[in-house]
Amino acid sequence: MNRLTKLLHTAVLVLTMSAPALAAGGGRVPMPQLPEAKGDQCVEDTNVMRRKHMDYLMAHRDNTMHDGVRTTKYSLKQCLECHAAEQNDAAAGKHEGQHFCASCHQYAGVKIDCFGCHATKPEKTTSFHPIVTPGMEKAAAVHQPAGELLNQLAGASEQTGGAE
Amino acid sequence: MSEQMHPDFSRREFLSQSAKLAAGVSLASGVMLYGVAEAKPSAEAVTSKVRWGMLIDTNKCSSGCDACVKGCNEWNGLKDHGRPQTDAQWIRKVDLRNKGTGSVHSLPMMCQHCEKPPCADVCPTGASFKRADGIVLVDKHICIGCRYCIMACPYKARSFIHEDVTDQRPHAPRGKGTVEACTMCVTRVDEGQRPACVEACNTDGHKAIIFGDLNDPNSEIAQTVKTYATTAIRADLGLNPGVRYRGI
Repeated sequence: MNRLTKLLHTAVLVLTMSAPALAAGGGRVPMPQLPEAKGDQCVEDTNVMRRKHMDYLMAHRDNTMHDGVRTTKYSLKQCLECHAAEQNDAAAGKHEGQHFCASCHQYAGVKIDCFGCHATKPEKTTSFHPIVTPGMEKAAAVHQPAGELLNQLAGASEQTGGAE
Repeated sequence: MSEQMHPDFSRREFLSQSAKLAAGVSLASGVMLYGVAEAKPSAEAVTSKVRWGMLIDTNKCSSGCDACVKGCNEWNGLKDHGRPQTDAQWIRKVDLRNKGTGSVHSLPMMCQHCEKPPCADVCPTGASFKRADGIVLVDKHICIGCRYCIMACPYKARSFIHEDVTDQRPHAPRGKGTVEACTMCVTRVDEGQRPACVEACNTDGHKAIIFGDLNDPNSEIAQTVKTYATTAIRADLGLNPGVRYRGI
């Protein structure tokens, strides 16, 4: 008797423990597989970006289109520079699960139409980090060899004579 | 550069004056070195101090040459679907023949970037607009594809995108259901480069297009427009286009 109760208890426990796993394998939408981005961090903290990226993009869109502001910080092109690295997207196309934007929007049930017009991947990958792109370099009038920039990013920079 | 300065000139005025003069320097008689248009800081908005324009010399432009068209198509990622009636066309070559004299001229025709653009006048959503520096654009975020602007444009400069577009160039977003036209390669211009057609005409063509700031009296385009007789196509409409022609 005692043994039977023990067995029943174990069975119930096993079933309870495996319930989420069963559910995940069944009807649930699988979590998106996000390709890894370049660099250590995004232009804002991750939780801020999750909630507000659309606002940043919308504001930047109007400034760029109508006033010709070409900063890269909140530009869609810059998102793709880091998030849609070529190996992730070269053949994947915009509707495949591997695209950073598309996969998460698919999961969240968000329909965006950015990629009806905008390129889904960078033409060539140039940047190591959002703050070291050709556009930003030009804006800040910084002309340094790439090696120095990399050193600065790695925190190994020394005060260079001409830098302001 | 030995210009007599007015004694009342303040130091600031003197400096700005000499900076302007330095923009166009005479190397020898007939040889001028013009200042290269500098890129504006990327965080700054464009202003009406600049008015971008083009001057096309039809005496140099050759009828068999379509370097500008190829340059435009490549830079902006325009692909043809083998349907010339509806394929996007931002710039096209036109041959003109004067029936009286028999003279033939060839010229590229594209958005003329009017000072008073009729496309922007008729646009019901504000998608067609003129930027402060004179470049006429379509904000495809707002465009509803009604194509009223296509009808209003006297130059037939605009196209409608009928098909889904893939593999766009990152600097030239374009998609089905919107109207588009020559952007004067606005992303290049904002970075201090010349439009793709001008670049192509200079390298592969006959150096028939000058691009520059019409408001800068020392720019090559302003100097040429000042020196020689140039024409605005359909000047009778009073639109004051930013694209002008010489030799027609």
